[in-house]
Amino acid sequence: MSAYVAFARSGFLTSFAYRNEVWANIFGKLVQVFARVAIWLAVYAGVTAVDGISISDMITYALLGGVVMGATRYDRIVRHVGNALKTGDVAVWLLKPVHYPLYLLAIEAGASAYTFLLAVVPTIIIVALLYGMQPPASAFHGLMFVGFCALSFLIHFLCAAIFGVLAFWLMTVFSLEWLLQSLISLLSGLLIPFWFFPEPFGTMASHQPLAWLVYYPSAVWLGRLDTIQTLLYFGFGLAWLGLLAALLALLWHRASSRITVQGG
Amino acid sequence: MTALIEARGVSKRFRQHKRFPGLLGAFKTLVTAEYTEVAAVSDVSFDIQAGEAVGYLGPNGAGKSTMIKMMTGILVPSAGSLTVLGRTPHEQRMANARQIGVVFGQRSQLWWDLPVIDSFALHQRIYDIPQARYAENLERFSALLDLTPFLDRAVRQLSLGQRMRAEIVMSLLHDPKILFLDEPTIGLDVVAKDAVRRFLAEINRERGVTIILTTHDLQDIETICPRLIMVDHSKLIFDGELGRLRAALGSSRRLTLEFATDPGPLPLATATLTSDEGLIKHYLLEREDVSLVHVLSEVGSTRDLKDVALHEPNIEEVIRTFYQGRNIAATATS
Repeated sequence: MSAYVAFARSGFLTSFAYRNEVWANIFGKLVQVFARVAIWLAVYAGVTAVDGISISDMITYALLGGVVMGATRYDRIVRHVGNALKTGDVAVWLLKPVHYPLYLLAIEAGASAYTFLLAVVPTIIIVALLYGMQPPASAFHGLMFVGFCALSFLIHFLCAAIFGVLAFWLMTVFSLEWLLQSLISLLSGLLIPFWFFPEPFGTMASHQPLAWLVYYPSAVWLGRLDTIQTLLYFGFGLAWLGLLAALLALLWHRASSRITVQGG
Repeated sequence: MTALIEARGVSKRFRQHKRFPGLLGAFKTLVTAEYTEVAAVSDVSFDIQAGEAVGYLGPNGAGKSTMIKMMTGILVPSAGSLTVLGRTPHEQRMANARQIGVVFGQRSQLWWDLPVIDSFALHQRIYDIPQARYAENLERFSALLDLTPFLDRAVRQLSLGQRMRAEIVMSLLHDPKILFLDEPTIGLDVVAKDAVRRFLAEINRERGVTIILTTHDLQDIETICPRLIMVDHSKLIFDGELGRLRAALGSSRRLTLEFATDPGPLPLATATLTSDEGLIKHYLLEREDVSLVHVLSEVGSTRDLKDVALHEPNIEEVIRTFYQGRNIAATATS
């Protein structure tokens, strides 16, 4: 166990090696969050509320999207797994008494913690000071938001790692990265919350795993889900988490045993 | 005592998706599922005892790396049985991993962005090395391979020679019983090669770490490995001491005789004349039982002999003769 704690720590410390990236990161995140806020300001021009959602709700939603999606980098994970398998570098990991997917999770947790503290938090503070941000709907919702954030990170990691392993059979790492990118921008709720989706797409979108990346954490913060619903959807999220973990384990086993049987 | 590594008729075949040439062929490749089988290792058997140092030698594509990968548990043999430390490596990969060290010359195991010392610290956690033992090994190995000046530098800033030395030290920190090295000196300069060789020889001698290394560089084998396993076209072709290989090949020694005045053509019964430059004549001593004394007594004391030089064949020549001899034999029989 101590090895994985050490990996997380090294993921965190490795990020320090690229100091300029911190500034580039903050700047990039600022632009992204500003863009989303600007879109909603334009959409809401002259209107106080659409479907009972105020502009202040939407600015908060845009900010929360930056909080949950700002730190974890699916592209980094897809590339890491995909390249390790395609180039055969994964052999190095098969030589060590370590589970590679858990190693990756630990490294990513460390790197995400770093980006969160040094890029996400400053960005959110700057934008929140400029445009204002609503507090969580209640103490319960605030607390559950933290739980949903953890769920968001884990589901995010699993989806990206699954796509990375698929690169072993399907196509280039790059094209899978693009595919996942478009799926995430549409189906996580990052660009448009599902309550603006026409039915039945709204219902469909809110039951697939990517919805737990942005939509549910933000909806919980804003109090769009009552207590029962919040707990229910947290449970659904856990179920997706278990399912995706099992899928990753299966695919990983297939890919690594194909390497060991057929050669890398 | 049973052998540390036992290979019995080990084979490894790879299936390769058959590709068809040309544009139409490219489409054909997409829809067909034809495979060609390539044998990387065929029916190889050997025993390696604790404390041995074995050089695994062969030309490119002879199946050296494949054999190392099978012994470390990351490839599964297609046929035959292989045990390492009493285990089947691929079935007990984790347990096997804790007792072996592996160095790939072409693939780094260090963390690219971290200082060397941090990579070592992670290695300590992965293998649960007790702190005292870790500190002791680190100090000793760092001193032997002169790692101290760059322990704090990030791996991506190291030269190849420095990186390789760090790789080797890391692979030994958890006191492995066996150390596998796949071309450890590839791309190194003469000084770095020498340092690595002397270090490996010392580790083998003092700590009794069993060493198995593949290489193209015959000097590696001469310095580190008393025993040599040679493979070619996936098959084992020689297993034994280097000296035995020399003897088995008749080891043609070369003799150079230099005269003060040209004695004219000088054919000898004991040696074959290969080239005649007048004052300097080159001979080949093909028979083992012929000594320099025999040759000199045949030349006689009347001639104006100025200097004599006898060249023992070096390992490169021995092995070149060996492979060439095999190829000739192969063409003759086919």
